[in-house]
Amino acid sequence: MSLQPEPTGLDGLTELEALAMDHALGGGSRAERKAAELRLLSDPEFRAAVERWQAMLAPLDDVTPGVAPPPSVWAAIAAEVEPKQRRPQPAVSGGWWNSVGLWRGLAFAGPVLAAVAVAVLVQPGAVAPGVPATVAGGPALVATLADAAGKPLIAAAYDPASGQVRFAPVAASDQATGGKVPELWVIEGKNPPRSLGVIDIAAGRSQAIPRDRLAGLKAGAILAISIEPTGGSPTGAPTGPVIATGKLSAA
Amino acid sequence: MNRPNQPFTSGATELAALLVRVADGDAAAFQTFYDRTSAKLFGVILRILVERQESEDVLQEVYLSVWRKAATFDAAKASPITWAATIARNRAIDRLRARPPRAHVPVEAAFDLADDGPSADAGLIHDQDARRIAKALETLEPRHAAAIRACYYDGVTYDELAVREQVPVGTLKSWVRRGLIRLRLSLEGSQA
Repeated sequence: MSLQPEPTGLDGLTELEALAMDHALGGGSRAERKAAELRLLSDPEFRAAVERWQAMLAPLDDVTPGVAPPPSVWAAIAAEVEPKQRRPQPAVSGGWWNSVGLWRGLAFAGPVLAAVAVAVLVQPGAVAPGVPATVAGGPALVATLADAAGKPLIAAAYDPASGQVRFAPVAASDQATGGKVPELWVIEGKNPPRSLGVIDIAAGRSQAIPRDRLAGLKAGAILAISIEPTGGSPTGAPTGPVIATGKLSAA
Repeated sequence: MNRPNQPFTSGATELAALLVRVADGDAAAFQTFYDRTSAKLFGVILRILVERQESEDVLQEVYLSVWRKAATFDAAKASPITWAATIARNRAIDRLRARPPRAHVPVEAAFDLADDGPSADAGLIHDQDARRIAKALETLEPRHAAAIRACYYDGVTYDELAVREQVPVGTLKSWVRRGLIRLRLSLEGSQA
């Protein structure tokens, strides 16, 4: 997949509009679709264009005959669905997680984006077009990281095939300057938070996190981002305010 | 039907109200939403994937997505069924793309597009919007319309279509894009 904008083949048609059509229609390759899905998260103009084309094409579905699925499908869905809590809560109780200091100082959150839709999102470009991807080590994982009030701030996606984590879109990260950097943590079960390293959460930037740290990352684990001194937490545990947390689930 | 642009307003409103409750964690509302929409979504998925077990798996994933993402549904942008069907199509296409490459497309398939006649379904269309888009498709260059149908309904890639049609993929993309723009103009015209 080339990063160069390719000619759209039509005069006056912008690349954005052409790619929006392609995505709404669905004719792109796997890599192209992944790239578009990522762009959907971080580019509202692109998202709006895709939605316009989708709305236009949607009546085509009218001629597709409905087919009643077997009851086993609902049974499987119902088994995975539990009534949600009305207010998102910090997923881990006790200890550092609930300390007042951690939840204070959401300054970093700044001008956040109103809502973050978690899309099915894996690392684009990791797979050459036409080459079948071998997703080693399980499904792609996604999480919406929300602040203490439950407001979504950041979408994170982890692609086991490439061993990378991506974030989009993001609160203004310039507020992390002044000797402070965001650090990513994972909490698995009752274990103490484990650092995945200092990160750059500029939109769409991928994080190459050492594979050994990501090994075994599973749905249900909690991702958290705290603000730490440059270079990362000096103690190996979060020391600064936690700005966002979210649970990983299969994409 | 005297509201050509929003023929199913009452049904859509009901489904949208259900989604609001689903976003709140209401499992009963979720089941009702499933009962009203699952046949349609399964049809969309099955048309793309054909293989039944795989389609059932995708349908399950789609509804788990609906459950998790109900709060992101925006009635100003799409009807609930369009929103859900779009998730279903995208999931089905992604699943199709993740399949190992199939055996080479037989030469006969080169004629598939020409055979995929436009009016086969016409008599079954009740919805005003669906009739309009079907009519608009018929005004396109037949190969352009056929390419759009093949992508949308069957999840065929531009690359596969280009091989079938024996044209460069750039040409194929131009057909599709030209067709879609024409389609939009035509729909805007018929709306006025």
